[in-house]
Amino acid sequence: MGIWTVSHILSCSPPHLVCELAEQALARYDRSAITFVSGPRCVLVQLRMIDGVAETVFNAGEILVTETRLELNGQFGFGMVIGNNPDHATALAVLDAALRMPGDPHADLRPRIAELGRTLSAARERRFAAAAATRVEFETF
Amino acid sequence: MGYVAVRGGAEAVARAEELVECLRLMGGSTPLHLPQIRDQLRHAVSRAMHEGALYAPLLAALAVKQAEGDSIEAAFLLRAYRTTLPRVMASLPVSGREMMCLRRISASFKDIPGGQMLGPATDYLIRLLQPALANEDMSVVVRAAERYEALVAIGGQRPGEVGRFPKVADYMRQERIIVDVPPDLAREAPFDITREPLTFPCPRSARLQAMAQADTGSLMSLAYSSVRGYGDAHPTLVELRYGYLPIQVAHPLTGEPITIGEIEATEAEVASKAHSVVNSAEPPRFNVGYGFAFGQSELKVMSMAILDSVLTQARIGSLSGESGPAADEEFVLLHSDGIEASGFVAHFKLPHYVTFEADLRVLDRARDHHAERASRLGQLVDQALEEQR
Repeated sequence: MGIWTVSHILSCSPPHLVCELAEQALARYDRSAITFVSGPRCVLVQLRMIDGVAETVFNAGEILVTETRLELNGQFGFGMVIGNNPDHATALAVLDAALRMPGDPHADLRPRIAELGRTLSAARERRFAAAAATRVEFETF
Repeated sequence: MGYVAVRGGAEAVARAEELVECLRLMGGSTPLHLPQIRDQLRHAVSRAMHEGALYAPLLAALAVKQAEGDSIEAAFLLRAYRTTLPRVMASLPVSGREMMCLRRISASFKDIPGGQMLGPATDYLIRLLQPALANEDMSVVVRAAERYEALVAIGGQRPGEVGRFPKVADYMRQERIIVDVPPDLAREAPFDITREPLTFPCPRSARLQAMAQADTGSLMSLAYSSVRGYGDAHPTLVELRYGYLPIQVAHPLTGEPITIGEIEATEAEVASKAHSVVNSAEPPRFNVGYGFAFGQSELKVMSMAILDSVLTQARIGSLSGESGPAADEEFVLLHSDGIEASGFVAHFKLPHYVTFEADLRVLDRARDHHAERASRLGQLVDQALEEQR
């Protein structure tokens, strides 16, 4: 997965690709295997920042997120993503449940997640490379 | 002319609202789409989010559109919307060290680990209008993509380089040249000004939260007053960074940290040149203040950091010379919230017929009294009373 965790990859990858992965996991189950515990719903998460001077933790404002809690074949799954995107949040919850199942029956998802991770890495490296073009070369007199 | 209490006006209010809509749309221009506002009016969106204390770029774009560009009104709309949603949890505490920077500068040290990156900034341009922007078509989008590719090629894409850098303030702390800010009173959770009323002196966490959602103009004005002479601030920018901050929450089943996405944010530390000496046995050091805001909001975070430094110095008693209003924590925090201030000032537009009638009666009595004392007899009596004293 490189420098990214699975949750980082899945929350920051294009939602339609994450939804495709969730569809792949869901293909093994009947509709009755899924129970929504709560959501998908728009809720708030309070952002806790650590200040750079005294390391004081403070509330810096709220973040709008979409949250889904469900059970897939009896396994709890939690999905939360920044913004208003019920499909993405539900896909994250499905994948969370699938990847937590005992015996790892959805191990086939992991190479595809790793592939998403490589794409995310490349995107983040490109984003930084564009910024790095503005690095200042000082001349000292 | 009669001065009486009134009710009614509901129809007029509804029609006034209608008229706003008509005037917004009747100019013949195409209605704005929210992604246009989010992408092309980034600073308006950032300001609505940090002053509204809600990170939601598309909703902020809607607020900017609905408010017709009025930043305080847009922030008000977002803050009102915020109250309609439940807060389910707090994020895990995150430090600016985790930020994937697009911009990172220091005015204190030329050579900082990782170097200085100007990033997306117009600070260094001459303020001339660009007439070419008035007639853009889709070809500029294609050209922008090509120019971006060229920038990526110049910057050089390298595996694992995503813009994480050590903080300059950490280096200064290592060198023991900055003051240790007194610890917050022991609290289980940081103070939350949306749940508890502010009392003074307030915990540091309350101060930082209040300023993070304060009006940019108010913070800037107070910070400027302290820098200009009505105070003791002599700031130097230690570091300013803007970029993407990954946000994590605790998984509700296992408690392990999980990432829920990234937000755009700006952060600054500002050192005060006044060597802060709390204890004469201690060697002199710099005082440093901190600023944070959603989006790219540089004036806001620098103003916040200057005020944080001034307020800390005022609390530990290390200000020299005139302290000014910017050193009064209660004054700063209670007068810098744009929503509260604008609400209070704007409410004077609403009918005050009853209170004003009372004012008129008082005025009438005062005028009668004045007229009586202006008479010949009145003046004689006043003179006699004066001589008796």
